[in-house]
Amino acid sequence: MKRDPVVIIIVALVVSAMLAVGVYKSRRSPGQTKTSETSMKGQLAPDFALQSLDGKTVHLSDFRGKAVLLNFWATWCQPCKIEMPWFAELQNHYASEGLQVVGIAMDDAGPQEIGKFAKDLGVNYVVLIGKEEVGDSYGGVPFLPTTFYIGRDGTVVDKVFGLKGRGEIESAIKKALSQGQAVQAKK
Amino acid sequence: MRLFEQHLNREVTISTYPRNRAMRFSPKLAANLPALPCWLLLTCLAVAQDISPGKRLPSVTMSPAPTITITRGKPGTVDLHFRIDGGFHINSNTPTTEFLIPTTLKLTAPTDIVVGKVIYPPGEQMSFPFAPDEKLSVYTGVVILGVVVRPLATVAPGKYAFHGQLKYQACDKAACYPPRQLPVDFQINVAKGSVVRKRNPGQSPHVHR
Repeated sequence: MKRDPVVIIIVALVVSAMLAVGVYKSRRSPGQTKTSETSMKGQLAPDFALQSLDGKTVHLSDFRGKAVLLNFWATWCQPCKIEMPWFAELQNHYASEGLQVVGIAMDDAGPQEIGKFAKDLGVNYVVLIGKEEVGDSYGGVPFLPTTFYIGRDGTVVDKVFGLKGRGEIESAIKKALSQGQAVQAKK
Repeated sequence: MRLFEQHLNREVTISTYPRNRAMRFSPKLAANLPALPCWLLLTCLAVAQDISPGKRLPSVTMSPAPTITITRGKPGTVDLHFRIDGGFHINSNTPTTEFLIPTTLKLTAPTDIVVGKVIYPPGEQMSFPFAPDEKLSVYTGVVILGVVVRPLATVAPGKYAFHGQLKYQACDKAACYPPRQLPVDFQINVAKGSVVRKRNPGQSPHVHR
């Protein structure tokens, strides 16, 4: 039987289209990760009480009125290491405008080890010892880094998965700083 | 069509379609056409590998290990094959920095069978978009770990099951996933082995003279 090249090409294109749809659907299929489809944008960021490296209890609500960059990280996370020095720089730059960077270490390592790691990266912002339930209250943190940008009014402006560029981080910070300004002005 | 023709730089004759359905391609091109779906399939698979964080979770699976026979009293090596999903890597047993979590295999052995050394392959030295200037020692694709086991000479011949866990921590090009543990199970068959008569070491060549 002689093969018609046109038929072969059409079959190939149909197979490719089916594969592409399959890949797209598998990426979209619910339940693969807790967070990927769970947007918290516009919702009030859940409050928490966590220990800082020096043993103090810190609540998210302590920073109400400030824009908060809430970064879940761990010492074993290489991509986290890249953005932490950026966060330190951005904390310096935007502190006067009302930014507070808060790092939550989702780590089995102890406070001393976490502290050493953070110090080596020049971290100048609040670092807290994470708990699984805090991650769960934020829709689950199945991978790191995961960063929430919280406006001055306490609502989630953005939720970002994985390492992003410095420019993207800075844009999100500006967005968080502008969120809730009107609310503050009324007060 | 002319562009197509020029691009291929081949002698291609394409008659008007559908008046004459016969499209005559060069013999080489025609011979390669059946491979086209395969190429497209590979392209789609390559696209599927290009994941963004959170779209899918890393998966490390163990291939069923064939039951090998080891003579009691002698060591033998069992090779365990692990497959790491495309787009992900796990740290090798000897990661480059102290904070990275090494891949380790922990096993519990049946009584009178000694689990010796676990032989980890050296990691691939790779750099990633999140740290292009840094080389990390990682495993990707298929990793084969060797487990040296030695049944004691007193063990009854038969099949023995081993259970354990592979601890690994995976990352993709932009995110890392918490450490996970994969159950590991395999069997060995302990054989009696042939009886070898030993020479009497006390007898030196002198004695025979």
